[in-house]
Amino acid sequence: MAGNFWQSSHHQQWILDKQDLFRDRQHDLAKLTEEEYQKVFNFFASIIQVLGEQLKLRQQVIATATVYFKRFYARNSLKCIDPLLLAPTCVFLASKVEEFGVISNSRLITTCQTVIKNKFSYAYGQQEFPYRTNHILECEFYLLENLDCCLIVYQPYRPLLLFVQDIHTQIQDDQILTYAWRIVNDSLRTDVSLLYPPYQIAISALHIACVMLGKENLKPWFAELNVDMDKIQEIVRTIINLYEMWKSYDEKKEIQGLLGKIPKPSPAPQR
Amino acid sequence: MASKIQSVSAPREPAPVMSTSSTILNMREKEKYIEDFEFPFCDESSKYEKVAKIGQGTFGEVFKARARNSSKKFVAMKKVLMDNEKEGFPITALREIKILQLLKHENVVNLIEICRTKATLHNKYRSTFYLVFDFCEHDLAGLLSNVNVKFSLGEIKRVMQQLLNGLYYIHSNKILHRDMKAANVLITKNGVLKLADFGLARAFSVAKSGQANKYTNRVVTLWYRPPELLLGDRNYGPPVDMWGAGCIMAEMWTRSPIMQGPTEQQQLILISQLCGSCTPDVWPGVESLDLYNKMELPKGQKRKVKERLKPYVKDPYGCDLLDKLLQLDPAKRYDADTALNHDFFWTDPMPCDLASMLAQHTQSMFEYLAPPRRPGHLRHHHHVPGVQPKPAQPTQDSGYQDRVF
Repeated sequence: MAGNFWQSSHHQQWILDKQDLFRDRQHDLAKLTEEEYQKVFNFFASIIQVLGEQLKLRQQVIATATVYFKRFYARNSLKCIDPLLLAPTCVFLASKVEEFGVISNSRLITTCQTVIKNKFSYAYGQQEFPYRTNHILECEFYLLENLDCCLIVYQPYRPLLLFVQDIHTQIQDDQILTYAWRIVNDSLRTDVSLLYPPYQIAISALHIACVMLGKENLKPWFAELNVDMDKIQEIVRTIINLYEMWKSYDEKKEIQGLLGKIPKPSPAPQR
Repeated sequence: MASKIQSVSAPREPAPVMSTSSTILNMREKEKYIEDFEFPFCDESSKYEKVAKIGQGTFGEVFKARARNSSKKFVAMKKVLMDNEKEGFPITALREIKILQLLKHENVVNLIEICRTKATLHNKYRSTFYLVFDFCEHDLAGLLSNVNVKFSLGEIKRVMQQLLNGLYYIHSNKILHRDMKAANVLITKNGVLKLADFGLARAFSVAKSGQANKYTNRVVTLWYRPPELLLGDRNYGPPVDMWGAGCIMAEMWTRSPIMQGPTEQQQLILISQLCGSCTPDVWPGVESLDLYNKMELPKGQKRKVKERLKPYVKDPYGCDLLDKLLQLDPAKRYDADTALNHDFFWTDPMPCDLASMLAQHTQSMFEYLAPPRRPGHLRHHHHVPGVQPKPAQPTQDSGYQDRVF
């Protein structure tokens, strides 16, 4: 399905303004610092990634699930729905939308249980995955409504492939694609998918890849692009900041504390 | 822990403001992970007022409704049926939503928005979703079943031109409709044609070498189903819709579906009787389709498309285009672009607007509301039904009663 990004709901409704995004997060940022907030989302992006890999989903599906997750919390507090429930729900919906087929309910729940137990015990300890199919089906409704049924997410992967094809007419280098592809994956851990169109993210990933690989000779290629270089620099800075954060961050040690701090549903008033 | 928030000591009354399904979860269970919040996006369906039921789509009922705001605009609302609870929100509905959000074209039905009912105790806190469309006054099956509606050759050309324009657009966007039939072709009172019901539609990709697509072949209403699907092809493409376009085009003159097989086997036999035998000679590769050896395929049938349709169609260009659309071999079937360039559309009488003809009819015509059509017109094609209604058919002449207005 090709479609036109410029006419899509992604472009028209879901490229958010940085200030708006920051303002909508105020409730959560009262309890978490900005960096802590980012670490929490980094963690749940990992959960979605590992879930997707265990379910043998394509990266495109995983990326869409991650963007659904981020879009939901862009307009809602973390206390609205437990992110541990929303994460598999996003995977469930994305696999349907991306025509991967419906994941069987029991397989999804079993995978959640094993993944939480085997890969994320450092965060949840002996705690088992507490949700069942009915929770996920219920949560899917909330998710759909909050996405305003905007289902199609354009990802940077396709533009990235096109750009690399174009670069290949000048330089033959397979490493660039491998690096840039991974950087796009990493970009899912930041807010860039909420703030910038996918082609700009693809160019930024290419830019970082070329710097990492020391590809000086591609400077003219970038110079010829008709693209807002300020935006590219903003994206590059965001992704580099993520790498800087990772250097000094031990998720295994910190995440339990962070999960304890996130806002949670308050008990309903007693009557 | 993110999940276990608090233990609930005292029993609580469910708070009805929280939209939830009490059948699935009780409130106490839910409070552990969900906070009461309002839905700022999907509007409530109560902003529209239902007027009448006008159809039954692939995944739900369709209603005519009117906006309660000052515009009083008419819309069509399609209810999303939640049959299969296990699957969650139905994938067919997800497909229709995402595909219609993608497709914006004069000849494709316009999706205005998605609405939902308010979740209340009455509906067990589960909203019903509706797709809201611009309202179209007629569907082609309804128009064709009413003998008082007469299409001139120029008007038929305009219908087919718009239909092919729509198909050209959706195919360029890599979407297959997969349920082409007269009832899914809507026409506004101004004569603008809209392809509708994308409940079976899906995105397609051109099969990469050595890696054939595996789409389901259980699509398309039987009478409009092309031979490759009946023979079990799972690696099909836009030609499946072009076959349907051919069937619909013939129907513009015959006034009822041209091949009304009761079973898949019978449908194949009817196709062979009209289009000739399915052999590797006329259709290279047909022998490797899954069901080629499992279905009974009539041998030695001659192709009679032009011969049998000529009494109805008369126009030689029309006959020729039909011949090109009703090709057995999907690779030889015309695509939408080639069809639009056919002389049929570029010779006199040129395509002409439908608005003035439709202006004579003030009631909506939908197949759903029409009396059952009489099958088998083509078998006795010596008298021409519909086109020139004889006074001796009073039951048909009266059209059908108005149930919409």
